Amino acid sequence: MSQYFAGIDLGSTMTKAVIMNQAVLASVIGPTGPEHRKLANRVMEEALTRAKLPFADITYVVATGYGRINVPFADKQITEISCHARGVSYLLPEVKTVIDIGGQDSKGIKLKDGRVVDFVMNDKCAAGTGRFLEVTAEGLGVKLDDMGKLALTAKNAVRISNTCTVFATQEVVSKLAEGMPLPDIIAGLHEAIAARVYSMVGRLKIEKEVALTGGGAKDIGLVKALETKLGYSVLVPPEPLLTGAIGAALLGKDIVKEAEKKGETLPRSERRLTEATFFT
Amino acid sequence: MTEEKKPEEKKKRKTATEAASKIGPMVKATIGGTVQAREEGKPIAYSFICCCYDEIIRAMDIVPVWTENYAGVCGAKRDAQRFLERAEAENFSRSLCTYALCGLGFDAWREELGEMPPEPPWGGQARPDMMLGSGQMLCDPRNKWYQAAQHYMPDIPVYDAGAPWPPYEDDYDYREVQDYYVKYIVEELKGLVQFLEKHTGRKMDWDRLSELVDLADRTWNLIWETYELRRAVPTPMGTGDAMNTMVPMVFMMGTQEAYDFYQELNDELKHKIANKEGVIPDEKYRLIWGGGLPSWFALSDFNYFNSKGAVFPVEVTYRMVEAIYHFDIDLSKITDPLEHIAWRWVKFWTYWYDKAKKRLGSHPDVERLIQYIEDYKIDGIVMHEAFSCRSWHVGLIWQLNLLKKVYKDIPSLILESDIVDISSYNEADTKARIDTFIDTLEAVKSQGR
Amino acid sequence: MPEEAAGKGLAVADRYYQDYGSRARELKRQGKKILGYLCAFVPVEIITAAGFIPFRIKGDVNEPITKADTEMETIVCPLVRSCFDMSLKGSYEFLDGIVIPHACDSICRTYDVWKYSLNLPYSHLINMPHGTGKPSLDFYQALLGTFRTSLSKFAGVEISDRELIQAIKLHNQNRAKVRELYGLRKASPPLISGTEVAKVLIASVSIPVEESIKMLGDVIEEVRQRGGVPARKSARIMVVGAQVDSIAFIKLIEDSGAWVVADDLCPGAREFFSDVTVTADPIEGIAERYLRKVKCGRTYREMEGNYEEYLEDRFGHMSRMIKDFNVDGVVLYIYKYCDPFGFEVPQIKSYIESKGTPVLYLEDEYSMSTIGRLRTRIQAFLELLGSK
Repeated sequence: MSQYFAGIDLGSTMTKAVIMNQAVLASVIGPTGPEHRKLANRVMEEALTRAKLPFADITYVVATGYGRINVPFADKQITEISCHARGVSYLLPEVKTVIDIGGQDSKGIKLKDGRVVDFVMNDKCAAGTGRFLEVTAEGLGVKLDDMGKLALTAKNAVRISNTCTVFATQEVVSKLAEGMPLPDIIAGLHEAIAARVYSMVGRLKIEKEVALTGGGAKDIGLVKALETKLGYSVLVPPEPLLTGAIGAALLGKDIVKEAEKKGETLPRSERRLTEATFFT
Repeated sequence: MTEEKKPEEKKKRKTATEAASKIGPMVKATIGGTVQAREEGKPIAYSFICCCYDEIIRAMDIVPVWTENYAGVCGAKRDAQRFLERAEAENFSRSLCTYALCGLGFDAWREELGEMPPEPPWGGQARPDMMLGSGQMLCDPRNKWYQAAQHYMPDIPVYDAGAPWPPYEDDYDYREVQDYYVKYIVEELKGLVQFLEKHTGRKMDWDRLSELVDLADRTWNLIWETYELRRAVPTPMGTGDAMNTMVPMVFMMGTQEAYDFYQELNDELKHKIANKEGVIPDEKYRLIWGGGLPSWFALSDFNYFNSKGAVFPVEVTYRMVEAIYHFDIDLSKITDPLEHIAWRWVKFWTYWYDKAKKRLGSHPDVERLIQYIEDYKIDGIVMHEAFSCRSWHVGLIWQLNLLKKVYKDIPSLILESDIVDISSYNEADTKARIDTFIDTLEAVKSQGR
Repeated sequence: MPEEAAGKGLAVADRYYQDYGSRARELKRQGKKILGYLCAFVPVEIITAAGFIPFRIKGDVNEPITKADTEMETIVCPLVRSCFDMSLKGSYEFLDGIVIPHACDSICRTYDVWKYSLNLPYSHLINMPHGTGKPSLDFYQALLGTFRTSLSKFAGVEISDRELIQAIKLHNQNRAKVRELYGLRKASPPLISGTEVAKVLIASVSIPVEESIKMLGDVIEEVRQRGGVPARKSARIMVVGAQVDSIAFIKLIEDSGAWVVADDLCPGAREFFSDVTVTADPIEGIAERYLRKVKCGRTYREMEGNYEEYLEDRFGHMSRMIKDFNVDGVVLYIYKYCDPFGFEVPQIKSYIESKGTPVLYLEDEYSMSTIGRLRTRIQAFLELLGSK
């Protein structure tokens, strides 16, 4: 009988869900709002619809991400560090270092034989996360989605000295007023994030191959800035936002396989999907 | 330490005195000299300023690499970030002394490459043969930094010379304990000499040391007398310049070059005073820089003060001398050079204790401020809180509170940033604070206090 | 003696932990004098010998720092700031004086702020040197002599050698009890949780040494008799850091599914694992212990031998503890603005990892609001250990 595994990554900015057996059958990405429980529920239902499966057929559910505690129907909660590692080693087995740049945090993960051996996180300072670009983009009057493209057209990246997001916004706005070209300023912002991230991940002694995941991986300017810092190119999985959810599903699969080998029964969440909808 | 011209940077900062403008090239030559000394195989020691061992290393022709200075240079040239980031990548917290972070980041990088990092400011920080730390009340990085650097240079030996001074206490007078403090310092310096002899293969020339100690004494007196000239109205020199002219005091003490420099400065200031030449023509407010190291990348802030009619005739920072002949003992009677150094050290740090005992509830640090406020006719006090330096930047709030309590209410301003880490500096905010402070000074002045 | 009330052992520790300072308040009402102190480097033997009660000033991770900022800069170690904040807020109004060691910049450079703000009848700074060579030891002995004279003056009577030796023996006894307690953590699963140990030790430094000895003895007996705690934990963790005076962080680790079985902390192994040797001049033995036997980043140990031997001298006790207590992973828990430990992080981490144990380095700001954020990192670390 086919086994299906679900992974839900409830991030601070985006929520992602996947359903897998041998490969990904369905995936859903949506913005995280404040009501995590309802959202997790909704996203799961959407994924089930796309996979054409009832919830009862799901063998095991793993929740990860910032809001993982708020997934009542999950059988286990695992940190996004372990999940990203598992997801990346599945998608890109040659990777030894993972750099994840999310909306409100960033991480570095060191892998050996597909397992986490070391990691670093930044979740207290906006510099080095998507938030930095979000706020500065707004200050400059540029759409966030355009930031990456614009950065690539720069002639001479401007050096931004402030790492505090608020001060940096002031700094770039005044530089724009002074007449410095917009692409140069935006390239400077990307370099600033790349420098912060590089410094953080540097604590792990970076080894190739390096993979970039999270929303940051979809910003071509940031990818290039990081590659410049590293001195070589990085690998980006086809859908960089899903690595956490994929990893979560796969870890669920690992847990089930392990239990079957030992002949153990696994504790499962008592909440079924339908019950979750009664929670506010 | 004037800033070098870089495409996106400001023009060279204007100094009030000729003497101060010579400092940039002097520092550059000194740093270049250390790199050359390395190539020539001369013994080089990482050193901290104000640690009692200036004359000792000079007497043995050991070339000092003043690591704090090098970090300051990187900061002034706005090229410290990459070294700070490297230190962070090594797992050093960004909240640690940014001089140390800059130095450690540089060393880690240099050791990894086997050569200087690319385009190092002014030639770079030369790899040392030994590192001379210090165990004292001044600052923890002085006994942790070089120990941490051994992680990248495990073959380089470290000597920590303890040099404490008696704290200011109510239930005993410092003179009751000064003897065993001096004894300790002398023992530590003896150990330092033995260490240096061992690692250089040279013997200490004690006569030469005595000469250099005497030269340092005379230099102390000369510096004190020179800086006292700044009492004049208008003042001929401000703190902005003093942050340059401190270089011979702390990086060249015990050399004839240092003495000669202050003699020149002395002549220049006398000349300016005779011609009533002030830092600015229309001096409105006289301020004291009451505490804290400056932001090396923002020395131009002093020019901003000047543009508002404010000058700094006096500062506490880097005024690391008193007139020897004002001490309560006759130092000239102490002929053993190590004892002489130790007594001079203890007497310097306890200089204001007696004054504090005479005013109820006062404290030596505050007495020093009061003396300067009176002598230099000061209208307001500015302090700088550098986030990474606990030695000089803790106690500023309390000092201001106490000053106002035991003396008088005087306009004050605390600026916040760092010594080297420019990401902490917000130019617009700093200027706004200065503007507000100037308004306060003006208001107080017009009330005729 | 504090009898009557509920229970002994763990119940007593819990009471003194939750209402920190309650025993000191009681004793004050009975006419005793209480001397507050910061940091494990104050020779409490001398305070006890003088007839005073040594009381460890602690902070509160649940209390946002507010009053302290009017006098003390925010760049000071957050634990020291919190201690000062609690003092200003009246938590330690029963203190007759403070004794501050030259432990680190944050502590010694704020001495004047403490002195002038609290304005207690007695205050003293023990200007402990950083070095450990013979001149430093001699100097430290002289400083302790000055402290002894000063404290005698305040007490109104000379502190005799006999009283000092008596106090030394008591404090040694106390430390031996703690070591005995730690012995119960070696078992698998440990007979007592890290959270319980932390609570007991923190309570112990707020009461007179005789009472601490009794309380510890009761705890040991109680724990031995109750049988094990439920064993559902994954890893055995050792926490290395400066001072941890709250159970919050230890509890966070244990709530995440691990045991905290060992440490290099104050109050903890660092503080209690070495004794004072009773010497003819008791000050000598005291000086020797505090300057040389206690291994802490604030003390600059001179290098003898080569670099590897130097690292062994400074950190060897950690690797021995990892072996003795069967530790799976080390959490290096360091406060922001901490120089003595901050500078050592790369060396400690590399040393422990070279011996084969993974290390998680965490920087924290000593506040419940920041401690919670560490949850994910700790969980990820445990997952990492689990997959080994």
